[in-house]
Amino acid sequence: MLELHNIRKSYPGFEIMDLSLRVEKGEYFVLLGRSGSGKSMLLEIIAGLRSCDSGSVILNGTDITKFKIQERKTGLVFQDFALFPHLTVYDNIAYPLRTKGMKKSDIDEKVKDMAWEMNITSLLERRPDTLSGGERQRVAVSRTLVTSPDIILLDEPMASIDTPLRDDLRRLLRDINRKGMTIMHVTHDFREAIRLAHRMGVMHNGHLVQTGSPDEIFSRPRNRFVARFAGVQNFFNIAVERKGDTIRGKMKNGIEIELPEGNYGDDALIMIPNSEISASGNFPAGSEIVAEGVVREVNRAENGYEAYIESGDIFYLNLSHESWAVTPLLRGERVWITFPGDAVRVLQ
Amino acid sequence: MQLRSPFHWIVLILSSLVLLFVIAPLAGLIIHTSPLELIETVNDREVQKSVWLTLSVAFLTSLVFAVGAVPLAWVLARYTFPGKRIVQGLIDLPIVLPHSAAGIALLGFISRDGMLGKAASVVGLNLVGNPAGIALAMAFVSLSFLINSARDGFAAVPRRLEQASLNLGASPVRMFLTVSLPLSWRSIASGFIMMFARGMSEFGAVVIIAYHPMTAPVLIFERFNQFGLAYARPAAVVFILVALAVFILLRLISVGRDKSLAPVKHNGNDDA
Repeated sequence: MLELHNIRKSYPGFEIMDLSLRVEKGEYFVLLGRSGSGKSMLLEIIAGLRSCDSGSVILNGTDITKFKIQERKTGLVFQDFALFPHLTVYDNIAYPLRTKGMKKSDIDEKVKDMAWEMNITSLLERRPDTLSGGERQRVAVSRTLVTSPDIILLDEPMASIDTPLRDDLRRLLRDINRKGMTIMHVTHDFREAIRLAHRMGVMHNGHLVQTGSPDEIFSRPRNRFVARFAGVQNFFNIAVERKGDTIRGKMKNGIEIELPEGNYGDDALIMIPNSEISASGNFPAGSEIVAEGVVREVNRAENGYEAYIESGDIFYLNLSHESWAVTPLLRGERVWITFPGDAVRVLQ
Repeated sequence: MQLRSPFHWIVLILSSLVLLFVIAPLAGLIIHTSPLELIETVNDREVQKSVWLTLSVAFLTSLVFAVGAVPLAWVLARYTFPGKRIVQGLIDLPIVLPHSAAGIALLGFISRDGMLGKAASVVGLNLVGNPAGIALAMAFVSLSFLINSARDGFAAVPRRLEQASLNLGASPVRMFLTVSLPLSWRSIASGFIMMFARGMSEFGAVVIIAYHPMTAPVLIFERFNQFGLAYARPAAVVFILVALAVFILLRLISVGRDKSLAPVKHNGNDDA
């Protein structure tokens, strides 16, 4: 189990402020944040590559804050893999074992077992510069795993991997985690976090903004930053009105939404997940919330199309190929947009 | 290079003139020396002793001083500290000093009245007029070549690799010996060769510290001074040829070492 207590680290123009975090034993924890948010720096503090100004790093009950890098038992897999270019794959994996002073026959056995497990036996005699990104990543993970660390720290492990190979790597990381290894994985890609994390944290400007399960974070983002990170594009400022016991918010297109109890000012920020909004050229009878708008732009997207519809504000919609085939939207067309009332969430 | 324009022709002519300037005196030296003179000089015991003294002292000096210079180069490549620029300036200072002035400065340091000279005399060693004194003079004027080249080599090694080594459990010493040193080997070897070459060709500082025993440059100077150009020329040719052969040999060794980084068949049991 990894615990971070009130970690502080400041540089001119940037600081990690009082960051506390807990990663349970055997957990797959993903730290999500933009580049420059401080997430990689946090990994380096845990691994001992950087010292923190204050706070403590506890690993399996031992305070390792003042420990030397080589004494921490944290296996850091660098974003650029950091394989030793002058050594073969075999020697790269054997490196930490030789450091421990193991017998040559034991080293040979361990390296070959690990290579077999990671499916890189055929690469053992090659040098890192002859390997693909995916192969290098496997070697880097093998080299770290062979040290039997208490936790594996992965710094943007998918960044240097071609898209088709990412599924393989994800499967590999899940397998490693399933065998009991605690993993802390840093990324800027929320899809990666959803696919891998048991729990995750979102970092912004040196602060841990929110932690929780992927479901919690993506269904109840704490603020606009987290919601945006979760892929939500529909944020709207609404005017807040109180009528007796009810509080209502009015959007720019005139739609009124009932708001839950809370302390509101004159306005509030709401979000609607893209997937909850639909659009049609015909009036959708029976729908809870309906507004008229104009299709401003339609673009091809990963899994279909995305459309921007102007209705007071701009509404972003994702359309699958199937729904597009039934009701295609054309630029300039007048359409009706609709979404369920319970899809609306008020943000801090 | 395709000679398409007057510019290319101008570059070619200027480059040729510079190369001619380097080659012409050396070629003249060899052309004006008969094979008979050369054989006589090669068999001259005095010449043999001086060439051997020069090569061995220069090589050992480079080797001994590398023990301290290489870690210093690593520190300069890896760390920032107050006064780093001053340290860097001090390392480069011998390059800009007139070598006779460097010899005078060193003489004050290693003579019986000097700090190092006094310490050496305690163990009965007089550095002046001694191969050890020659070694110090050679090192003083050539050390910066090794330090600067090794520093550039270490600076080119990604810091990440050293951090990875530590993260994999290596001690700083093991990290240095198994990662930093092998990856900057070529620059260190190149600096070593430059230090060796600069040391063995040194005259100004060496002649002030030790006229005897005579290094090859001092012997050539003495023959020229006492007997003239014709007598000094064969000794100069012999020394140039020997120096050239050693220089090429060391270069080949360092290139060979570099090529050894190419993929190799692994027997599965080698130690790093």
